[in-house]
Amino acid sequence: MSELICIVCPNGCRLTATVKDGKVSVIGNKCKKGITFAEEELTAPKRSVTGTVRTVFKEFPVAPVRTDGEIPKDKVLALAALLGKIKIDAPLSRGDTVIEDILGTGVKLILTSDIKSKLTEE
Amino acid sequence: MIYRAIVIGGGPAGLQAALSAGEAGHPVLIIERESRPGGILKQCIHDGFGVIRFGEKLSGPEYAERFIDEVQKKENITLLLLHFVISISKEKGVFVVRTTSKEGITEHRSETLVFANGCRERTSRQVNIHGTRPAGVLTAGTAQYYVNLMGALPGKRCVILGSGDIGLIMARRLTLEGAEVLGVYEAKDKPGGLTRNLYQCLTDFDIPLHLSKTVSHVFGEERVEAVEVVSVDENMCPLAGTEEIIECDTLIVSVGLIPENELAESLGTKMDAKTKGAIVDQNMMTSVNGAYAVGNALHVHDLVDYVSECAKTAGEHIAGEKREERNLLPIEQEGLLYLVPQQLDINSLKEEEVFYFRSACEYKKGELKIYRDGEEIYKKKYAMGLKPPEMEKLKVKLPPLERETRLKVVLEGKNE
Amino acid sequence: MKFRAINRIKKALKKAGYTNISVREKLGGVLLEGELEKYADVLACGRLAVEKKHSRGVINKISVAGYQEKPMRSPLINDKAHEGKTPDALIIGGGIVGAAIARELSKYNISVMLVEKEYDLAIAQSSRNDGMIHAGIDLNPNSKKVKYNMRGNALYDTLSKELGVPISKNGQYVLFTSPVQRAVYPFVKKRAGKNHIPCEYLSKKEVSERIKNPGFNHGGMFFAGAGVVSPYLMTVALAENAVVNGAEICFDTAVLGIENDGEKAGKVITNRGAIYPKVVINAAGVYSDKIAEMAGDGHFTIHPRRGVEAILDKKAGHLTHSVIGRFAMKTSTGAKHTKGGGIVYTIDGNILIGPSADETQERENNATTREELDAVINKQRELTPDMKSADIITYFAGTRAATYEEEFIVEKSPIIKNLIQAAGIQSPGITAAPAIAEDVAKFTKEILANEKTVQQKKDFIKTRKPIPSLKELSLQERDALIKERPDYGIIICRCEEISRGEIMDAIKSPVPALTLDGIKRRVRAGMGRCQGGFCAPLITQIIAEETGIDITQIGKKGGAGKTLCGYTKEQKE
Repeated sequence: MSELICIVCPNGCRLTATVKDGKVSVIGNKCKKGITFAEEELTAPKRSVTGTVRTVFKEFPVAPVRTDGEIPKDKVLALAALLGKIKIDAPLSRGDTVIEDILGTGVKLILTSDIKSKLTEE
Repeated sequence: MIYRAIVIGGGPAGLQAALSAGEAGHPVLIIERESRPGGILKQCIHDGFGVIRFGEKLSGPEYAERFIDEVQKKENITLLLLHFVISISKEKGVFVVRTTSKEGITEHRSETLVFANGCRERTSRQVNIHGTRPAGVLTAGTAQYYVNLMGALPGKRCVILGSGDIGLIMARRLTLEGAEVLGVYEAKDKPGGLTRNLYQCLTDFDIPLHLSKTVSHVFGEERVEAVEVVSVDENMCPLAGTEEIIECDTLIVSVGLIPENELAESLGTKMDAKTKGAIVDQNMMTSVNGAYAVGNALHVHDLVDYVSECAKTAGEHIAGEKREERNLLPIEQEGLLYLVPQQLDINSLKEEEVFYFRSACEYKKGELKIYRDGEEIYKKKYAMGLKPPEMEKLKVKLPPLERETRLKVVLEGKNE
Repeated sequence: MKFRAINRIKKALKKAGYTNISVREKLGGVLLEGELEKYADVLACGRLAVEKKHSRGVINKISVAGYQEKPMRSPLINDKAHEGKTPDALIIGGGIVGAAIARELSKYNISVMLVEKEYDLAIAQSSRNDGMIHAGIDLNPNSKKVKYNMRGNALYDTLSKELGVPISKNGQYVLFTSPVQRAVYPFVKKRAGKNHIPCEYLSKKEVSERIKNPGFNHGGMFFAGAGVVSPYLMTVALAENAVVNGAEICFDTAVLGIENDGEKAGKVITNRGAIYPKVVINAAGVYSDKIAEMAGDGHFTIHPRRGVEAILDKKAGHLTHSVIGRFAMKTSTGAKHTKGGGIVYTIDGNILIGPSADETQERENNATTREELDAVINKQRELTPDMKSADIITYFAGTRAATYEEEFIVEKSPIIKNLIQAAGIQSPGITAAPAIAEDVAKFTKEILANEKTVQQKKDFIKTRKPIPSLKELSLQERDALIKERPDYGIIICRCEEISRGEIMDAIKSPVPALTLDGIKRRVRAGMGRCQGGFCAPLITQIIAEETGIDITQIGKKGGAGKTLCGYTKEQKE
């Protein structure tokens, strides 16, 4: 039996999840997403990751990025380190892909703030 | 040229207020003191924004930029950046707002005014932290600016005081950027931020949370060398003999936000001592006719989605033609930390009105009732519990109200 | 020194129970040696050894069992940047006294060098006081303190205009705390008369008319000659004017030793090389006794005394627009050497409360404690019940350079021919500084007279163009200034409404400010209610842009006080 906090939405429901015969049963959830969350959290926890990467642009030296979805929890720190090796050198737009496939997870890393429009400011 | 509305602040509250106020094409002006709009969201690169508003889990910049893009498309909305309001007055029913900018001193006039100027952080000096004043003591928001906007690390071994959301978010952020977060200390006996943040920011990274403890003293002449933490009682008074020295090079202070209301006060706007923001009616209008308050300037929100909502309410009221004399009915309350709006304009009541509140205490089960002249007219059960750090929204169908009506909101809770 | 005086002191010490203390004459003063259990006893001995008529000072070398004095804070740097320099005058100490002396000396055709061990001016006492320009009433009417105070007070109007440092003279109220004190007024008036201090008796009715809700009302007094200034801004202004007129101001330079042959001070050893000045001027505040000793005329000892003060939000400015204190009878033991503090309406419109006064063994401990602050709040609340502690936006501590005589030492050393001492300067040091500087200049001229003809410079630039305070200007003036220089229109510090232009001016000033605290002292950015929360990163970026210094090398303070420790994403191996 595990006590979990669902992190899907601001409600942060306190879940109690039990695994029996490979099946997960959940109580405390306000919606269905909580069940899915508990299942994943106990078997293959995932997290969305947000961070920043450097750019070559003086007007916007540091740009925010996030995973477009969730990656396995055990890859989070590796991703954080990977971000340090990236330097955006093109005037990308918000939503553009910065990494096509993060560490083989199939999840993209996208830009969350528009660079292009900030370069054309006076 | 007289604007329909001057919105002070180009963060999420101001942007939405301007969009709604300018919906019918009236000229609206947004005055923003920074070089870019978006307010505090520019540095809130973490996600969780917009779940309610857009059904998506966006980062702060993404949320803000949706509104910025909209504003930039609207010809009737002017956005002035690097403009700072130095004075406001009301002359013959018109608001006169003076700004300073690289163009000089400019006067702007409008029919209505929206305070959307957000809040500032409580400082270490306001929570009785003593000792020296070295480099390395900073508030969480300032630390966030350094990390997310300047790409710089404020320290390598950090102690965080305050378990509010900003402190928790920064605990994770600093860890991901290579700093060591030695622990989060919270003076209350319960953590302050959203429960999910405790989980994904502290538990995920094995960062310990210490409750009923506070930082009392800072050591280090030029740079922080250590802090002293001490246990506190239920009144947050230090308990002698429980002092502990923790070596570190940074103290991040995340002890609450204070709505910025010096400008509103200069206009004579009446304030609510509990929210530290203006007293407003259901249209977000303050005690000064034609002046509205929205967003964190009104009260500190947990979710930007609700910020956008109340800003929309204010903006819609501004855009509407019906803004006659008000008939204000104060709302009494019991059991709440605070309730917004604090009064109702019964001349402009809609079928359903929205309230936001925070429970005064943590309850496992709660019941909120609204009484009109002693008679119960509304009840809502909270089976999942209530706690002060988590703001609740209420949509209530109110019956017709009169000038002499006594309206009271009562929250009762249980902990078994 | 008279034999009788030594004997009297020996007797007094024995009578008080201090039997193992040796008392002898040294350099015309009284040297006490021995060891005691408690510092309080060391102080008591020192006070008993005060002999104003026949002694040049108490040299208290009594040690406290088991206590090791903390070494002086010294800069990290070690090089030969100043090796071999030969200024005519070397001033040791960059507080208001040193800065005032530098400015005064820069009026003459002599080379002036000031060395300060910290990273900026006014780091110690000069930025840790209530900024008062004292009326002089609480000073012994025959003291040196009062003479310098009155002269300094009189010089402040001109100084303010010349240096562009605003002052205000809104007087000071002193309230009687009991009806019996009113009887003292005739004595106060007589005492005031000796130094021409304007004073006025206030009846209970007048007090209630002029002060909002006073904590006690048994009548009081008003001294019109009191005022306020920003003490650190005045220090900076004096130093800047000195630099503009040719003086050299050197930071991170600590005097570690002075070679003297018992008659003349020669080589001054610092962490940045050896300096060979013709005249050595000791303005070293809490360390002025150590410098005096190094130079060969250590005829006094500083016993440090802490004070804690708090600053209230400008919202509290309605409490008073003047200064309010309470009447305190000086006790015969001289135990109370402060008027008990009060509340001050600062030149910037904040309210300042305090200070406290507590003896300490530490010369540079500027850490505050909750107990001290609570004591200050409680004490001042008696005086001003309307004061709200929730309005406190910051608090700080400072350490006074008090001699046992509680008196200024402003002299040409009778022993070391080229040594001038402006030592043991505590309150009213801010007020007295310009007058002290005049006397020091006189002494300097006298000493140098043998070697060169000292004359006033014909091209002395006596005015300083201050950094404009945009917020204080009229709208038209402000607009005009911005049109000339757009950076004055962009607000960086939103709490105090300080523009980018003002911050740039501080960075480019004659004594440049390259730290957040340095800029704060010059233009107030960071002194408001958010205490730099919003503006610190912006100011860091401005310093980087204006100087090319990397953001990770910019600090709140100098030395190790860097704000940032590096860039993000430094690989953790």
